Amino acid sequence: MKETKGKKTPPAQANSQDQAIKTKPIMPSLQDNLELIRSQLGNSSDIVIRELSYPGGDGLALAVVYTDGLADKQSVSEFILESAMLRDQMTRGEGGDAVRVSPQTLVNQVLSISDTRDVPNYGSLFNALLSGETIVLVDGYASAIAAGTRGWRDRGINETLTETVVRGPKEAFTETLRTNTAMIRRKIKDPNLWLETRQIGRVTETDVAIMFIKGIADDKVVEEVRQRLDRIDIDGILESGYIEELIQDETYTPFPTVYNSERPDVVAAELLEGKIAILVDGTPMVLIVPALFVSFLHAAEDYYHRFDISTLIRILRYIGVFIALFGPSLYVAITTYHQEMLPTQLLYSLAAQREGIPFPAFIEAIMMEVAFEILREAGLRMPRTIGPAVSIVGTLVIGQAAVEAGIISAAMVIVVSTTAIASFVFPSYSLANTMRMLRFPLMGLAATFGLYGIIIGTFAIVLHVSSLRSFGVPYMSPFAPLILSDQKDAIFRIPHWAQFARPRLINRNNRKRQQKPSSAKPKP
Amino acid sequence: MARKAAWLFIFLLMLSPILSGCWNRRELNDLAIVAAVGIDKAKDKYLVTVQVVDPGEVASRRGSAGQSPVSTYHAVGGTVFEAIRKMTTSTPRKLYFSHLRIFVIGEELARQGMGEVLDLLSRDQEGRTDFYITVAKDTTAQAVLNVLTPLEKIPASKLYASLEVSAKSWAPTVAVQLDELITNIVDPGIQATLTGVTIRGDLEAGNKKKNLESPDVPTRIQYKGIAIFRGDKLVGWMNEEESKGYSNITDQLHSTVVETACPNGGKMAVEVIRSKTSIKAKIRDGKPEAEVIMHTEANVADVECKIKLTKSSTLYELENAAGAAMQKHAEHAIVKAQRLKCDVFGFGDAIHRAAPGYWKHNKDNWDEQFAKMPIRFKVNVKIRRIGTIGESIMNDLKE
Repeated sequence: MKETKGKKTPPAQANSQDQAIKTKPIMPSLQDNLELIRSQLGNSSDIVIRELSYPGGDGLALAVVYTDGLADKQSVSEFILESAMLRDQMTRGEGGDAVRVSPQTLVNQVLSISDTRDVPNYGSLFNALLSGETIVLVDGYASAIAAGTRGWRDRGINETLTETVVRGPKEAFTETLRTNTAMIRRKIKDPNLWLETRQIGRVTETDVAIMFIKGIADDKVVEEVRQRLDRIDIDGILESGYIEELIQDETYTPFPTVYNSERPDVVAAELLEGKIAILVDGTPMVLIVPALFVSFLHAAEDYYHRFDISTLIRILRYIGVFIALFGPSLYVAITTYHQEMLPTQLLYSLAAQREGIPFPAFIEAIMMEVAFEILREAGLRMPRTIGPAVSIVGTLVIGQAAVEAGIISAAMVIVVSTTAIASFVFPSYSLANTMRMLRFPLMGLAATFGLYGIIIGTFAIVLHVSSLRSFGVPYMSPFAPLILSDQKDAIFRIPHWAQFARPRLINRNNRKRQQKPSSAKPKP
Repeated sequence: MARKAAWLFIFLLMLSPILSGCWNRRELNDLAIVAAVGIDKAKDKYLVTVQVVDPGEVASRRGSAGQSPVSTYHAVGGTVFEAIRKMTTSTPRKLYFSHLRIFVIGEELARQGMGEVLDLLSRDQEGRTDFYITVAKDTTAQAVLNVLTPLEKIPASKLYASLEVSAKSWAPTVAVQLDELITNIVDPGIQATLTGVTIRGDLEAGNKKKNLESPDVPTRIQYKGIAIFRGDKLVGWMNEEESKGYSNITDQLHSTVVETACPNGGKMAVEVIRSKTSIKAKIRDGKPEAEVIMHTEANVADVECKIKLTKSSTLYELENAAGAAMQKHAEHAIVKAQRLKCDVFGFGDAIHRAAPGYWKHNKDNWDEQFAKMPIRFKVNVKIRRIGTIGESIMNDLKE
């Protein structure tokens, strides 16, 4: 761990002691080793130390250490303890005398477990032990074996909750890194799918894996991801959001510049486009970089349905972006500054609804928006059983009673609810949050400058978005800069047989997806 | 330092919305939406009448409170603008003119010249110029705006809609908007026209909500005739037939009904579905002359006599008869215009295009030239369809 800035506090004394333990090699004496493990872990009750001795041997010969709950007890008993004990009987049967077994022999001839490795020092010993591996220590040898017995209770693979589809795979990632990588491997059986794991977090030592397809992903971007991950110096990583915030290009932007998904098929598709996935142990949300604005508007299902309907739905989503962003502000601007733009009949009916409303349209809009956001947040946080009750109260109070009481005009309820619904069409929740946030300043601009203010706000947003980059790739590509060949999969989704190339700014070297067929039709 | 300056700049920028203080902001319920404006002459001043919509009464679903859907306010002023601003003493809110539907000019004012009034309309930035302009015939604009109308709650909307519909499907009305009117007034090659609007029935009863209580209302406003202007002054009226001819010559005819006599007694009507008229002017022997070419397509609409429609010769006869009837209307219109020495058809513009040199020397006395200019017609009527039945049921009727 390195210090990046002089301002930071020097590492604490305890840390340097920890450092010493971490690099301390395994001692030859089994007794000493066990003593150290016990003291370092503070005699934690979930650490199980099973000692074996051979009859006729001098005291302890072998110790098996594992963490209860993290290691699979059955494999520990069957493949480690049982094997070791049987071997003991066998050797005794032959020579009558106990034979001292070296760790090498143990691995090669005794332990019937598939995945073992040598542990050189205490740092990796603890890491292995606390990840669920089983440590086998042999008396008289200054080395230890870590046997892969990871196996804990996890949630299992469930249906996705945040990115639902009608057609397409329903599975979602789980909280276990290994399961997640396996789910991606199951989709891409190419030796070039590479996986690099590192541990981030001084205390949590969370496994973080980078996954990419060698040869498709840009090596420079992969290197950049590695560097940014290595630069992280934090005590704990509990969710991929930590990583996202620590490695993103720009923090002070409402726009997400790292994509996330809990769908293995989405991650696989992005890997095929040359992007890089970052998997974090303990969360089902997988990060994908570089992220483009358009990918936040692409749903997995777009590629599973026919291209025509997918294109239409994408256009619908862009309309949704427009409404979610500008809905209330346009209403406020037009009804308070530009009444001449309304059709005459509409003006009459809006004016009739506003008769007797005590607040200006802007205050009305703010009140409704805030009420809606509160309802939405309440709906997310409260216990699920109370949900329906709150939504009924919310709709009744806000939707109906407020209108009938003459506090809010009916048109405003329509505008705000349309906006709210429009903000749910995004496949990505992070972009929906962006729109939610930007709506309020735009409403303020609309209330002070009218449409002119909205134009100013739009300019500011467009300028800002065009200046963003995600791992060196312009965020708004393929619109800014305009890349004609990438328009095939931006607003439009043209048929798969016509998509020859991968996005240009992401794959600089290997762009070819398929040979050019003239059409999907078989040749006569 | 530069960083500090940047922050300061952003901070100042963020202040600007607060400082602007919502300049020009008007809530919808602060507006008095003016649907119609009428201007009359009151001695040497203007009497301005505005019809203001009560949106609650118009759009409310909860049933109206029994109030009139519109209120009219009027004021007298030396200029139109002064009169309008004077009205704030009696209106509860500021008048809002963007959604003006109809502009009525009193006949008296129209006869004395309405140019001064039009200036305000085109100068004001608040207005949308998509309203129609009409002349109150035999009455005042104020009286027209005071009549309540059934079906369409806002009288101004009624006037707007019925002018639009009748100009499209009946023809003896012209829907004129401000830009066209002003162009025609200032262009020496064409004179302006406006449709007349008149009150039929009891003037007093029309003001009351009672007017809406019977199915056949005692008082109604309707369009009648086309007013002929010389410059900005009204000089005469065309009747219905002449008006029809006028819209046909000026190519404003979209659809109308042409009535013709059957060869052996009785009447029938054809519906014009498409019509294209062009004016060709030229100078022959130093004199201007013009030809009006009409291409018209029509359907048989109504047969009230015994004829064999299935024979093509009958249809040819019908085409000729309809053509003759249309030509007659057009000739009447031209006779009226030539008598008034008002070139409302734009023959002057046609001469201008055909012979700019001649026009240059003669535009100042074009009215005189127009009055004695020979105009020929070439009418070409095609009957396309005879409707869903072939022969008339009259043929099977036993007498």
